[in-house]
Amino acid sequence: MEELLGHPAVQGGLAPFAVALVVALALFAARLGGLAIGAALATAVYLIGGFAFPPVSAQQKILLISLAVPVVGVIVDLAFKPTRAAGPVLGLMAGVLVLWVGINVLKQKEITALLFAAGGVFALVAWLTSAMFALRDDPVRAGAAGLTLGLGLGVSAMLSASASYGQYAVSVAAGAGAFLLVQMLLNRNIVAGATLTLSAGVACGLIAAGASLSTPPVPWYAAAVLALIPVAVRLPAPKSGVWLQAITVSIYGGIVALAACLLSWPEMQQRLGL
Amino acid sequence: MKKALLAAAVVALPFAAPLSAHANPESYTIDPTHTFMYWEVEHLGVSMQRGRFERTSGKFTLDRAARSGGVELAVETASLSSGDNVKGSRPRTLDDHLRTADFFNVAEFPRMSFKSTGVKFAGDVPSEIAGQLTLLGVTKPLTLKVERWVCRDNPMNKKPMCGGNASGTVKRTDFGMKYGVPAIGDEVRLWVSMEGYKD
Repeated sequence: MEELLGHPAVQGGLAPFAVALVVALALFAARLGGLAIGAALATAVYLIGGFAFPPVSAQQKILLISLAVPVVGVIVDLAFKPTRAAGPVLGLMAGVLVLWVGINVLKQKEITALLFAAGGVFALVAWLTSAMFALRDDPVRAGAAGLTLGLGLGVSAMLSASASYGQYAVSVAAGAGAFLLVQMLLNRNIVAGATLTLSAGVACGLIAAGASLSTPPVPWYAAAVLALIPVAVRLPAPKSGVWLQAITVSIYGGIVALAACLLSWPEMQQRLGL
Repeated sequence: MKKALLAAAVVALPFAAPLSAHANPESYTIDPTHTFMYWEVEHLGVSMQRGRFERTSGKFTLDRAARSGGVELAVETASLSSGDNVKGSRPRTLDDHLRTADFFNVAEFPRMSFKSTGVKFAGDVPSEIAGQLTLLGVTKPLTLKVERWVCRDNPMNKKPMCGGNASGTVKRTDFGMKYGVPAIGDEVRLWVSMEGYKD
């Protein structure tokens, strides 16, 4: 049997076909017969190399997801008309992803610390993803939120956690800043959609979570303050003039980002008794 | 039947006896107060910066007659010390930075380990230890050249002990530690100062 399963034609063709056939027959009534492809590929992966991939660090997982999310955003924008449930559902999905991202760190913790840490990063990523997604039809506020969230997280991470986490967060801010500047130069709104808001929300959420789980960490209270940015940019702003609106909402977000940066500064933490 | 077995045993005895006399592996447990792993890396093309890990545990075996041995070391990466560990008003020390995901990522990978795969001898002392270094979850070969090796009784507690120094070189990018390359050198020299007491 082992010899048979070791044959390349069985590994790549016959066994995947057999498993896919079972899946297609079992699931076609539930309109999920298409899962046959995934089942076939999973069978081939199992037989050819197994599911034991080389270890990927939390930071590498964050980068892989963050680079894939813009593609998801484009698909959401072009192929779907998101319902009210889309934001929370996408948030929950991103929340589940962060548990996979942080699994190596989380599994080393005692049960109480594990529950707090896992619950904390889940809530943070789910909230940032859905709150940013909710800004998809307001490109100025979405751009300002991405700009200030990325900057606040970047500086906080550089002060407390890791320089590379900080650099990645600042790069998100750079992207959002460029998006905002184009609107200011054109003096009109351009489409943000899920492409911008999911990219910024998921990337910043995962970077904040990764930095919160690292040693030394971004303090949880600084991360919690950063999570207020998508709310802060919703405060009233002038209705006319993209320049004025962009500057006003960026100041709102910037104040919150500055508070998070100060909370990440050790001297301030000592003064506040944190 | 019994006579035949006895005769076979008598015939085999002269051949077996020297083997049993030579095959004499001894096990040693690392003395953590005298076993440290050090690193050396180039900084900004200017100086070679050094540091060490404060906590190492492990075991080694030695069979001087059969010229074989083995070693297993486990290093707690959070115990690293660069010499800069007083924060003052700065956001963090160099030790703090080295513990982050930029370098040793101690929250995710708290242990670095070395497991030998073969030991070469020069006379009756080990001269080269080939093995596998696992750092940041990545395992790559590392050969340590043994610079000195001594076995004797500890003059204070009279316990038999062995120890010495060995060093080798790795590229940190091979283990995924890419931050700051090339400003902070890719090539890292590792030294081990090791002492162990016979079990």
